[in-house]
Amino acid sequence: MQRNMTEHVHEVPLFGVSDYIAVLNQTLEYTYPSVEIEGEVASFKVNQGKWVFFDLKDADGSLGCFMSLFNLRVPIEDGMKVVVRATPKVTAWGKFSLTVQSIRPSGEGSLKKSFELLKAKLDKEGLFAPERKRTLPEIPAHIAVISSTQAAGYADFVKILNERWGGLKVDVAHVQVQGEGAPEQIIRAIKYFNGQEVLPEVLVIIRGGGSVDDLAAFNDEPLVREIAVSRIPTLVGVGHEVDVSLADMAADVRAATPSNAAQIVVPDRKEFAGSLRFLVQRILARMSGLIDERAKEAQDALRHAWTLLDARAELLLSQLVTNRQVLSAYDPRAVLARGYAIVRGEATVGSSITVEQHKRTITAEVTNVEER
Amino acid sequence: MSKNDSKSVSQKMNELSELVAWFESDEFELELAIEKYKVAEQLAGEIGKDLSELKNEITVLKTKFDA
Repeated sequence: MQRNMTEHVHEVPLFGVSDYIAVLNQTLEYTYPSVEIEGEVASFKVNQGKWVFFDLKDADGSLGCFMSLFNLRVPIEDGMKVVVRATPKVTAWGKFSLTVQSIRPSGEGSLKKSFELLKAKLDKEGLFAPERKRTLPEIPAHIAVISSTQAAGYADFVKILNERWGGLKVDVAHVQVQGEGAPEQIIRAIKYFNGQEVLPEVLVIIRGGGSVDDLAAFNDEPLVREIAVSRIPTLVGVGHEVDVSLADMAADVRAATPSNAAQIVVPDRKEFAGSLRFLVQRILARMSGLIDERAKEAQDALRHAWTLLDARAELLLSQLVTNRQVLSAYDPRAVLARGYAIVRGEATVGSSITVEQHKRTITAEVTNVEER
Repeated sequence: MSKNDSKSVSQKMNELSELVAWFESDEFELELAIEKYKVAEQLAGEIGKDLSELKNEITVLKTKFDA
């Protein structure tokens, strides 16, 4: 019996403190390389602007958590229910803690709280300000789309786009649109398009409907900031009409759904052809109007010329009448008509003279000449 | 074959817009208007035809964004 006990004592491994901690960490890492734990946040604090510490607790227990501020993508505060993805670890001082890789709000209340906190923060920075919004080109020739090509929302977008317009160059970045990796993939795709030598004219980010949790990727702070600083004007259509994400709010233009995004980004070809016809008719109307205007101007000018001509003719006629009256006053026949006569011939006794009266001419002989 | 055949819809649209602007500007001259109207009418017809025939060129990038 004694011998067995001694053997048993020898089977118990002996470690140094640091070695034992290392073995514990190896065992934890092997057993739980990564684990998700849900709980309520308590004692949340940020140290040196770099490190985040908080406790994750439920009714019967509490775990210390540590993470870098860089990995904190959504606002967190005490009392919020969250899910952390973490690696369990025993520190050199023997304290058990979770090294958190990511944290996301859990449950509608926490999601809403986180949404409101981040919304207030970004709004204060002016990311949603109306004066930052750019207009989209009316008829783009080249657009970029960021979506999951397997999603129904993407299929809706492409269907409506093809129905409405043609001749468009569309570059599509296939990304994850929900889950933990989604925001980072979308950010990479935004950076990719913004780094192109020839920029697309519009950057469309779309995702169909889903639960609040599904759409949470579009409330990720780094993603919202990336959308806000995009050199390419952005159009974001996420979820359904009632779903509003912070990505929507930071975009230059918000679409209610992916289908609506297609309706916004290109005009409808039938309506457009109709507007072209209207345009040509408008030119024709303008031309007809101007021709009428010119014709009226010509008529007015002609009428004015005739008026001037009439006035001139009247003046001339009036002058003619006056001249005729003057002339008639000098007409010898008028004098004769008043009873006078013209006598022609030599005024010597015995000469023959003619006496011209108004209606007759008399030939007479001079019988006497008397000087006065 | 029209000389506009090699032009894109956007280029044709720009030309049409310029013509419309000319018609609505003080530079309008009746003597030139008929010729320009014919060009505008032809452009509008070609754009309408292009729009009914053209397909979008959709390319899914091979670039991976997951890492």
